[in-house]
Amino acid sequence: MKIRYTFYSLICAFVGIFLVAVPLIYAGTNDFEKLRKESPNIKTIQADFVQKKSMKILSKPLVSEGRLYYAAPDSLRWEYFKPLRSVVITYKNNTKRYIASGGKMVEDKTGGAQAMKIVLNEVSNWMNGKFDQNPSFKATINEGTNTRIILTPTEKSMAGMIEKIEITLFKKTSTVKSVRIIESANNLTQIDFDNVEINKTINSSVFQDVE
Amino acid sequence: MKRISVLILTVFLLSCQTLPLINSSVSAVNENALICPSPFLKEKYRLVHSIENRMFDETQSVIIGVTLADPSTRFISCAIMSAEGMVLFEAESSPDMLKVNRALPPLDAADFAKNMIEDIKLIFFAPDGKLKVKGILTDGATACRYLEENGDWIDVINDRVEGTAVKRYSPSGILKRHIKFNKAAGNIYQNIELQAYETFNYSLLINLIEAQPAGNQYPRTKHSRETKK
Repeated sequence: MKIRYTFYSLICAFVGIFLVAVPLIYAGTNDFEKLRKESPNIKTIQADFVQKKSMKILSKPLVSEGRLYYAAPDSLRWEYFKPLRSVVITYKNNTKRYIASGGKMVEDKTGGAQAMKIVLNEVSNWMNGKFDQNPSFKATINEGTNTRIILTPTEKSMAGMIEKIEITLFKKTSTVKSVRIIESANNLTQIDFDNVEINKTINSSVFQDVE
Repeated sequence: MKRISVLILTVFLLSCQTLPLINSSVSAVNENALICPSPFLKEKYRLVHSIENRMFDETQSVIIGVTLADPSTRFISCAIMSAEGMVLFEAESSPDMLKVNRALPPLDAADFAKNMIEDIKLIFFAPDGKLKVKGILTDGATACRYLEENGDWIDVINDRVEGTAVKRYSPSGILKRHIKFNKAAGNIYQNIELQAYETFNYSLLINLIEAQPAGNQYPRTKHSRETKK
């Protein structure tokens, strides 16, 4: 069970990292306190994303595409369309992961949903603007041409798996430009968000129906 | 005492499997004409697959597998990642070395890397053992049987209906792996099914996402965990 928890904690950390990025749309300064004050304004978020996975073994990045939906306080849909369709849904304190199999979506049987729920609870702290209060990561903000937030794992167990996360914002608009997850010198995941919509109504079925 | 011995012998014989019979009693001319099936890589290739793990007739998980395989040197580099892009496992293998660069739970089990590399070899590389017999199986399929250095037997089979398959047997003839290449698919590695016969049987449904010749890319470097095979 512990092994499964660790495995899914990592996956959820990935998902959570993506979620971290979106509230930063409202983070125009290097002030986490301001971020916390403004975060209650976020009722819903939806956005497309393109994920590029770079590894030494790959000659070119493996590109994935998907879409994110979030509704306060704790509803989430994190979905990949290709190359491999998968969906993580959290709704009313219940988290499930689905994967495409034989043309339909089936629930992931590896027992990680419960662990995902625990981790996503932590993520919800970030969604509420408590961005620098997650003990798993030390957060710093660097101002430059673009605003850059760097998350560094504080726990040894995580440190061997994720070196750091860089979230870059456009300085003028404070919107998320990119998220880079550096796992090691050779493994890098870059996510670019697009078509970000804040506080646009999301039908609750998005968080209930897998298809 | 004699009865007990007979009983033990009977149980022993029953517990042993036998390899499927390959009829090689065809004429020498025909035997020479029989070409061994070879669904294996001819050059260095990089392949990305989705891998669906099934157990107890249910899908357990789906992951992404990346394989860089060079049949000329039998060098393999491979990685497994989640759909979310998290790298769970990375390893490299050459005939005398196995290097695990990254192995996160639950893929950090003692024999996982070794078994996975063996499965990759079975799918993509021609057997490096000696050809012992070639001929026709009882169902009419063409088969070539190789004896591996560790005593395992590998049958490479071509059936007009079923398509191409590779089977690995233990030295005593117990079926351990059965790999089926989907005949209908354009690329022979488009759809692969691997059936594993272990304490808990499982199958892997492997579907190609992309494939490309790799040329002479990918320099080898030093890594953290390294074990002699």
